[in-house]
Amino acid sequence: MSGLKWRVGLILVLMAVLSVVTVSNFVPKETRQQSEFWPDEGLRLGLDLQGGINWVVGVKIEEAIQHELEFLRDSLVESLADQGVQAGSIVVKPGQLEVAGVDPASREQIREALAEYNSLQAVEGDQGAENYELTADWEEEIRDRTMAQVLEVLRRRIDDPVRGIPDSVVTRQGDDRVLVQIPGGQIDRSRARELLKSTGFLEFKIVLDTAESEDALKARFVGGIPSDQEIAVETDPESEQVIAAYLLPEAADITGDYLDDARLNWDNQQRPLVTFRFNPEGGRIFGKLTEENIGSQLAIILDDKVYSAPVVRSRISTNGQIEGRYTVQQAADLAVVLRAGALSVPVVIEEERSIGPALGQDSILSGTRASILGLALVLIFSGVYYRLSGLYASVALLFNLVMLIGVMSLFEATLTLPGIAGLVLTVGMAVDANVIIFERIREELRSGKTPRTAIARGFDKANSTVLDANCTTLITALILFEFGTGPIKGFAVTLSVGILTSVFAALVITRTAFMLYPGGRSVQKMSI
Amino acid sequence: MPFELIPPNTKIDFIGRGKLCASLSVLLILVSLALIPVRGLRLGVDFAGGTEMQVRFDPGVAVSEGTVRGVLAESGVVEDPAVVRFGDPSAREFLVKFKGGEEVADPTADLTAEQAVTASVDRVELVEGALVSGVGPLSVERVDFVGPRVGQELRSDGLWALFLASLAILVYVTIRFSSRFAPGAVVAVVHDLLVTSGIWVILGFEFDLRVLAALLAIIGYSLNDTIIIYDRIRENMELRTKAALRDVLNQSVNQTLSRTVLTSGTTLVALLSLYFLGGEMIRPFALAMLIGVVVGTYSSIYIAAPLLLMLEGGDSSQESGKAKAASAT
Repeated sequence: MSGLKWRVGLILVLMAVLSVVTVSNFVPKETRQQSEFWPDEGLRLGLDLQGGINWVVGVKIEEAIQHELEFLRDSLVESLADQGVQAGSIVVKPGQLEVAGVDPASREQIREALAEYNSLQAVEGDQGAENYELTADWEEEIRDRTMAQVLEVLRRRIDDPVRGIPDSVVTRQGDDRVLVQIPGGQIDRSRARELLKSTGFLEFKIVLDTAESEDALKARFVGGIPSDQEIAVETDPESEQVIAAYLLPEAADITGDYLDDARLNWDNQQRPLVTFRFNPEGGRIFGKLTEENIGSQLAIILDDKVYSAPVVRSRISTNGQIEGRYTVQQAADLAVVLRAGALSVPVVIEEERSIGPALGQDSILSGTRASILGLALVLIFSGVYYRLSGLYASVALLFNLVMLIGVMSLFEATLTLPGIAGLVLTVGMAVDANVIIFERIREELRSGKTPRTAIARGFDKANSTVLDANCTTLITALILFEFGTGPIKGFAVTLSVGILTSVFAALVITRTAFMLYPGGRSVQKMSI
Repeated sequence: MPFELIPPNTKIDFIGRGKLCASLSVLLILVSLALIPVRGLRLGVDFAGGTEMQVRFDPGVAVSEGTVRGVLAESGVVEDPAVVRFGDPSAREFLVKFKGGEEVADPTADLTAEQAVTASVDRVELVEGALVSGVGPLSVERVDFVGPRVGQELRSDGLWALFLASLAILVYVTIRFSSRFAPGAVVAVVHDLLVTSGIWVILGFEFDLRVLAALLAIIGYSLNDTIIIYDRIRENMELRTKAALRDVLNQSVNQTLSRTVLTSGTTLVALLSLYFLGGEMIRPFALAMLIGVVVGTYSSIYIAAPLLLMLEGGDSSQESGKAKAASAT
């Protein structure tokens, strides 16, 4: 009997905890976060219920690969010219470099030169031509770098903590896509599209003066700073404390429009640094600027914020490098910032699911109504058909729903409209396990068994049937989760969790109810 | 007296009707297949690609399907838009469907990455603009746009999911029961998918992600039914080793009939409430599930069990069936 007490106690504690979690979803968020009692977070509503914009943005990685091939071609032509080798023509084809019309005498030299590029590998070309393509590793590298750049750019535009849209999310999806989610009610669709397209602004300026803080810098100018100059500050990326203030000319010396590429690199002592490359016109402007300002600091500014202000050590034209005491991470971040002004490859919206807040609200309302009616009908049915045992099944069904919503809230799962459909379906199917058990018990009773034996045998025989039957539904639900996208995944989630809680409710909770009554008593008749 | 829908000693000869039912199902599948070339398999935006917009005109705007169509045709912003009223006529809501959506203006033009993105056209905004100026103020309630690449992926992923689910079931039933049962279970599941999709084709409805989700849920549900019957068949085979397989099958289906009908009943009740109260968005899913549950229940009784007999080679006793299985291995 004390075993049974433990059992009942544990179930009651579990239900009490999950009830609190379930009910907390209906408590306003502010109240929840202020109070010690309610959990801070709960179920999340999918964008199809709260309204919002959902974009899958496709990134044209192929273009990044072509850019890389062009870069390698230029560098190869340059180094061959230095060695005085007649290279014939090196052409960039889709995905490949084609070296054609080569003078046989210089063929070996070209091969040697190419061998130094560990990012290229030879592939079969057309008659006489030698073709090269990026190695798989390097292609992966380009892909990751491009995705990091596009993500950085889109994050700055959409979910930047200061300028962006609150609660919006920008994440990488698969090899070449970015998922942009903007919760509803804050911004209309066309405005969001404009934001997606707003280019970040990258500038380079020579530092005129510098101090630890804006005030310290201002103090140096009694009559205020000159009208054609401005102050910008650099903050520590982690603490967000101002670490330096710079006096800069108002007009940019050169902007990021001229920048072709920037990447993390290493000097000959294996210290991280950032190399960058301007286009030819940018190279001319930048060469002149750096030549005139050797020893000065050059501020790199993105959207009016100084990211770094390295000292110019020599004249830099097309290809430059920024050295500093960077960690690998800082250097990598700086490279991303340098590339972040403009998208390096085109992106296009490949899929959109947008729902207005009113429609989402309608869905919540009708979904709730359908759930309540469905639940009520099933409860009435069980009570009428199975009487006391039906009442047990009803209690188990209610506990089941509390568990389902409670567990989903604990995991902060997302509830979508198909998710609500899954909930209603669970209500309909959850009694199945009880029906299997009860029908079995009825059969045992009919064959003349006493209620006590009938219950024991009913549960014993039904156990494996219930497990088998639910396993198969679980398998299809998991496959649906794997293949489904967005809202459909929400259906798979409620369905899977619902199956688990239904089995628990039938095999543990209903069973316990029968242990309480009739339990060990030898009753003559059973209400089933 | 307990409340009983199905009397305990019901003895219906389900197995005897197996052939008739199988022919009926095959006929239904053939009719739906024959209808596909006539009507075309209707794929929703999810699979075919394109844009579906749900717009609601402000109160007081006088508007009909005809005016919306006329204004869009005149503006020429999209080719062949399909316009249907959505839901209640008083709600002034319409669905506008058309091919394409967000497109890069001119893919051949030599633009920088940034210019290409900025120059892309959004057909949704064009349609919205045309309707606002031609009909009256409105709000765009919903936009579903699926580009060609995503549509292609959703199609192949969907077919994969259906295939994998059927395969997983084959494996599961083989492991948990025996290879004798597995083919019957899979044929029953494939039958349910084909018949439900067939009815969907005959009704002339569109296939989209919601319907796919329903089809997958039906696989799980129908198999659930089948397994419960098979479970009982297995149990009875062990109890009555001398009895004819046909009798064992009939007995098992009859014994589980009450459970089969009850569970289908509660599931149908929940789905009906979803169909009537769940709103327009969820209705196709609820309807597909309703059809699937009915078909799944029917197939578990009239197809899955008789199939076992057919696969064993007709009316033989269990002994000879086992002997056959043994000699085959």
